[in-house]
Amino acid sequence: MTELSDELLVAYVDGQLARDQTRAVDKVLDQDDVVARRVEALKQAHSRFEFAFEAILAGEVSELMANAPSLPPPVRRRRGNGLAKIGMITAGLGLGLFALVAGYGWPLALPERATLPQAGEISSATRTWQDEAVRAQSLLSRDSVEVAAESQGNFDLVALQMAQAIGPAVKIPDLEAQGFKFVRGQLLRFGGEPIAQLLYLGGRTAPLALYARRGEHEARDGFAKGGAIGSVAWSDDGIAYLLAGEEDKATLLRLAEKIRHEPSAQPASTRKLSAN
Amino acid sequence: MQAETQHESVRHGLIAMLPRLKRFADVLVGDKRQGRALLRRALKRMLADQHRYQQGTPLDRFAFAEIYRLWLSQLREHADPLRQTKPSGADFERLLRGNGAADVDAETTRFLGALPPQQRGTLLLVYGEGFGHEDAGLVLDTDPDTIQARLIRASTSLADRLGATPSPARAAVETHYPLEATEGP
Repeated sequence: MTELSDELLVAYVDGQLARDQTRAVDKVLDQDDVVARRVEALKQAHSRFEFAFEAILAGEVSELMANAPSLPPPVRRRRGNGLAKIGMITAGLGLGLFALVAGYGWPLALPERATLPQAGEISSATRTWQDEAVRAQSLLSRDSVEVAAESQGNFDLVALQMAQAIGPAVKIPDLEAQGFKFVRGQLLRFGGEPIAQLLYLGGRTAPLALYARRGEHEARDGFAKGGAIGSVAWSDDGIAYLLAGEEDKATLLRLAEKIRHEPSAQPASTRKLSAN
Repeated sequence: MQAETQHESVRHGLIAMLPRLKRFADVLVGDKRQGRALLRRALKRMLADQHRYQQGTPLDRFAFAEIYRLWLSQLREHADPLRQTKPSGADFERLLRGNGAADVDAETTRFLGALPPQQRGTLLLVYGEGFGHEDAGLVLDTDPDTIQARLIRASTSLADRLGATPSPARAAVETHYPLEATEGP
């Protein structure tokens, strides 16, 4: 039996290990049932914590909304520039009013709408498919549909288009070795600025998406989870990234680490030449 | 004008985070009623002293830290602080079962309810809020190693309780996460 400490296994389950360490643990798991069962138990504990905290948050939201029945349902939006983890922004008007009536002591007038550089998670119980569709629609631009579908699937063309739209430092990773095949890339928009969306397929889960937007907008990077979707946000070389998918935390963090070490769509030397 | 803008953005930000702040206060105290009272005081203080908020600091980190600091200072003033940190099982269960929230299994509920508040807060910040260890440490005024040690203790302890495989023998592989010797349980 291979001897691995709980410290290491918890760090593995939490996605805190370096890539080579993760690979080493992966190998042990393939060969050692005892360790594999232990990891499974730790994952179960981890999931239960996450579920418990999500349930509490759902309860808090329900309670707040129940006390402000005429107010709009919570609105979800992405953190900061909209690229970070799926975050929770409750309708500011509603909660502001509730805060007043519920005695939280807000001394000021109500806001029109809450805006926030940070956000967390919210229950999806109050959202409808129409809400989600409208939010998705708001990300579409003409650029999203004017490029032919064939071109969107051409890795080299996509790299060129994204480098032009987002900047030469943008990374267009090849994740085939990690089991995710590039499917297509398109440009979305947020706040009038382009967002690159690269879609990959792997295994049986929903597509994995990498988003990139110019500027380092994120106040806090890291892993987050909203419903079934996990995400990792980070900034690199003046570009904010978000990797999102239904993969587990360890996988997403591993992929994010891989992408961080990818070369840019346009190498630095070429960039200098272009700038000149 | 700039100060006013900051004032507005802090206030808006706090409003937008209200459910998250409430969850943090409730989980820390382990009781809805007391959590609400703690949050109310903390919000008033944050709005009154928001000059202490430094532009560029994540607002959620600032707000959670303010709630934690206030809780701690109230605890220190209390004649019997240890008793104050222990919510009853029923109080904590209400947090997890009330208001239409999905049911959480009894074992996890009992487990979380029995944890010291700082450990519950740690779990919430990292597993519930997605904070990194450093940010969680800044909120709870401790170092990232302590955060890691709390996560390890809680995770392994719950895994053991769930009747899973006992821990394999320890540490033949080096880790970056030393065990914390000083904290319970």
